[in-house]
Amino acid sequence: MATARPGWSRKAQYSLFFSFIAAIAGLLIGLVLLAVSFVAPRSYAAVRGAALDATAPVTGGLRQVTATVNGLFSGAGNYWDAAHQNAQLKRERELMIQRIIEAKAISQENRELKAALQLREHSRAPVASGRVVGSSFSSPRRFAVFSAGSADGVRIGMPVRSPTGLIGRVMDAGALASRVLLVSDRASIVPARILRTGQPVISQGRGDGTVDLRPLEVGRNPFRPGDIVITSGTGGLYPPLIPIARVIRLDDDGAIARPLADPGSTSFAVVEQPYEPAAVGGTTGASPERQ
Amino acid sequence: MVRAALSQKRNIGQGPVAAAQYWPAFSVMLASLLAVLPIVSMNGWFPNFGFLVLIAWRLLRADAFPAWWGAPLGLFNDLVTGSPVGLSVAVWTMAMLALDIADQRTQWRGYWLEWAIAAVLLLGQEAAEWRVAQIMGASLPFLSIAPPLLISILAFPIAAWIVARIDRWRLGR
Repeated sequence: MATARPGWSRKAQYSLFFSFIAAIAGLLIGLVLLAVSFVAPRSYAAVRGAALDATAPVTGGLRQVTATVNGLFSGAGNYWDAAHQNAQLKRERELMIQRIIEAKAISQENRELKAALQLREHSRAPVASGRVVGSSFSSPRRFAVFSAGSADGVRIGMPVRSPTGLIGRVMDAGALASRVLLVSDRASIVPARILRTGQPVISQGRGDGTVDLRPLEVGRNPFRPGDIVITSGTGGLYPPLIPIARVIRLDDDGAIARPLADPGSTSFAVVEQPYEPAAVGGTTGASPERQ
Repeated sequence: MVRAALSQKRNIGQGPVAAAQYWPAFSVMLASLLAVLPIVSMNGWFPNFGFLVLIAWRLLRADAFPAWWGAPLGLFNDLVTGSPVGLSVAVWTMAMLALDIADQRTQWRGYWLEWAIAAVLLLGQEAAEWRVAQIMGASLPFLSIAPPLLISILAFPIAAWIVARIDRWRLGR
């Protein structure tokens, strides 16, 4: 039944016409909403947060189920070849113990040197901890849903990290859940440096689970496959010394790296205060609720 | 493409289920709600389930829902999937209007033509999403939409089959 020709019924003709007018109106409203999204992304913060609160508990509950099932399979997998694995782990542990002792000595020396210089560091207590329970999976943007919200103190713009590395920063906060812009999103730019040389670089997501690394100074390509990149603390948002990614491939003047914190397998993550809240507030013209 | 009339088993005396005329819109919302599944994807190549089911319904029946229902359904999809508010509102309504025009212009319809129309709409949707991401500061190369587009096009027959099953069920055939 093609609605284009409803026949002689006047009622059907009118209903078709008004439906058409309503569709045009809907299209215009959509375009206006989209334009508001562009110029003032914060204007939908409340409604987006409410939608997150409504859906995230479901995601979290289902996540528990998949994690349990995954755990059963990987747990069974660990029994395979257990003896060989055991021997290997023991060897690695011996090495690790040596490294830890060295690191302890270094950190003690570091503390003494800082005391001598009278450097003052404010300790950073985590704001909230939670789990990555889901992600955007049908869009070119890379977001993850995180199971802590403004009721736990999470605010828009705060950095999120896991024990293995940097995950991203909060971009929508509901009361119970928040949405995190992952490091691998194209719009996510992180000031970083190479752990091996300390050279400053910029990390930008590529939208496919990897990040692009570019040196700040033009010259010879400073990367080597396997290099670890850490945050530098420049810009004041991300705290320094958080691992970001490991280089997997070089290209002409930079490198492509894979983030160390895989949001898919991260069990726990913490939200921290911005490293220098004043600096962040100044540069991004930040949220009104922060004042 | 309803071939229920030719099938052997006729459910004589069985009418449509309750609220049969709202099931198409409801199934689109259910498809949007697949976004709450705990999938942590690194590349975002999954199809846009809500849009797939929307165009599958509209291609199956012209009277599944009025064209303007694309706007509220799109708003729901935007809020659930976390895409910029207004993107699906505009794209879904535009797709409904485009399909109205396609209904007027096509002389005959077949499986292949419907699949081709769906492919064009999916291309438009992916391109709009790409352009909006670009405006919002995430400029990716245009070819990055190729893998998700291909996956969506291949997923369309599955969505169309599911929608046809729901249609027969809701009408009690």
